[in-house]
Amino acid sequence: MESGDEEGVEKRRVHLRPDTLRSATPATLHLLPCDVPVNRPAPVGSFFTPAIRQGPEGLEVSFRGRSLRGEEVEVPPGLAGYVMVMEEKEEVLVRKQGFPQGSDNDEQQQELLEPPEAALERDFDRVIRASGSFSHFTVWGLETAPGPDAKVRAALTWPSLAAAIHAQVPGD
Amino acid sequence: MADRLDYGEGTDAQQFVFLLPEYLKDTSKKMKTGLMFVKLVNPCSGEGALYLFSMCLQQLFEIKLFKEKHHSWFINQSVQSGGLLYFATPIDPLFLLLHYLIKADKEGKFQPLDQVVVDDMFPNCILLLKLPELEKLLQHVTEEKEIDKKKYYKYSREKTLKWLGKKVNQTMAALKTSNINVGARVQSNAFFSSHQISSDKEEDYICYAHGLISDYIPKELNDDLSKYLKLPEPSASLPKPPSKVQIAHWFFLNGLMYQGNILYHFTALTLQKVKLSHEPIEAKEDYTKFNTKDLKTEKKNSKMTTAQKALAKVDKTGMKSIDSFFGTKIF
Repeated sequence: MESGDEEGVEKRRVHLRPDTLRSATPATLHLLPCDVPVNRPAPVGSFFTPAIRQGPEGLEVSFRGRSLRGEEVEVPPGLAGYVMVMEEKEEVLVRKQGFPQGSDNDEQQQELLEPPEAALERDFDRVIRASGSFSHFTVWGLETAPGPDAKVRAALTWPSLAAAIHAQVPGD
Repeated sequence: MADRLDYGEGTDAQQFVFLLPEYLKDTSKKMKTGLMFVKLVNPCSGEGALYLFSMCLQQLFEIKLFKEKHHSWFINQSVQSGGLLYFATPIDPLFLLLHYLIKADKEGKFQPLDQVVVDDMFPNCILLLKLPELEKLLQHVTEEKEIDKKKYYKYSREKTLKWLGKKVNQTMAALKTSNINVGARVQSNAFFSSHQISSDKEEDYICYAHGLISDYIPKELNDDLSKYLKLPEPSASLPKPPSKVQIAHWFFLNGLMYQGNILYHFTALTLQKVKLSHEPIEAKEDYTKFNTKDLKTEKKNSKMTTAQKALAKVDKTGMKSIDSFFGTKIF
């Protein structure tokens, strides 16, 4: 960064674009109690969101024939929620060098032939950015509401616990 | 190249759900760059772990991952498998410096810090030398000498134990206050709904606080710390039933939060999408696993939807089950 010495080290970093923490648009998140083994666009707004009802004991929705009960969960105070995405390698290179790289397919083939460790090192020269921000999300339970025992609620106490562990000890 | 168009912004791509300290947003006003994920040593295991470093704040954050089986995200108009939630929280960098000081102590001499914090495996360790008030921090764990205005340091086991003792006490005090949820709400609700505890003993708090600190120091030092704190020695052959607060610790950190393999996970997943099928498939109807076994087999045999058939044909090479990244225990 400041000196040439660090250039090699630079490659082992995933840069988070700080400005995207401010420009990220509000995102709507639902934590579902089931496996969905793909990452892809889904018509959430057509089939899921419109079916959400405010029942006597909280949010209710039917998802693929199963009844789900939901609750809003706030992000703990002092924290902000973000959805982040890796920028395409080509995108990063184009920005850096101003010209496109060779064929995508060649590169992808190479990556798959490499041992995982090598791929990991290569991948570390990357840029990630916040695409969405959130201050709360909806946690869904199957048949019953997640309630105070929900594991994700326990996890959300981690930041306050970490703050206690990592507070500086006063000097002698 | 036509394929690339299908990868709309933040849709097909792997999405990471993060919780970050709010103040990182404000630093972005001052700097266009300087926020980065780096691989540094995990001071407990000596293996690699993922951290976030802010050049602007000169602050280090550790990354922990919450993962619960059978969960997924809907993020706007997309679905994201795994239901993972990443946390970035400030870490006391002295734990990492301590790792290097102990390693360098094998030389048995006073050394300048830039000769102590050297690591071929994790070259980003030089970032640690940029941290503010290093000299003040190092006083807690080293003896120092000044020759020609240059400081030389040597690991001090005695000072370190004293510092760790204070750390444990400080953590314990924080656990007891009501604003630490783990001390009250989570214990009574999440962990002990079936066997409620009436009162936590002092010893339970110490064990819990010690357990939390022990995740950041090497095992030998941890054994010394147990003796220093006069904690009851765990029986080697037959471990005595842990105190209730300890159960909370193990449950919380061992069962829900992960650290060691995040790095691999974080980067390896970005390769996955290369092989993701572009066939019009729907989500696998995995909720059937909540049904009885009979129902499940019956469903499979009787009708397999076109979506399921399409899914069965998806080339899964290069895709790993999420679980495979967490096959090894972190502790």
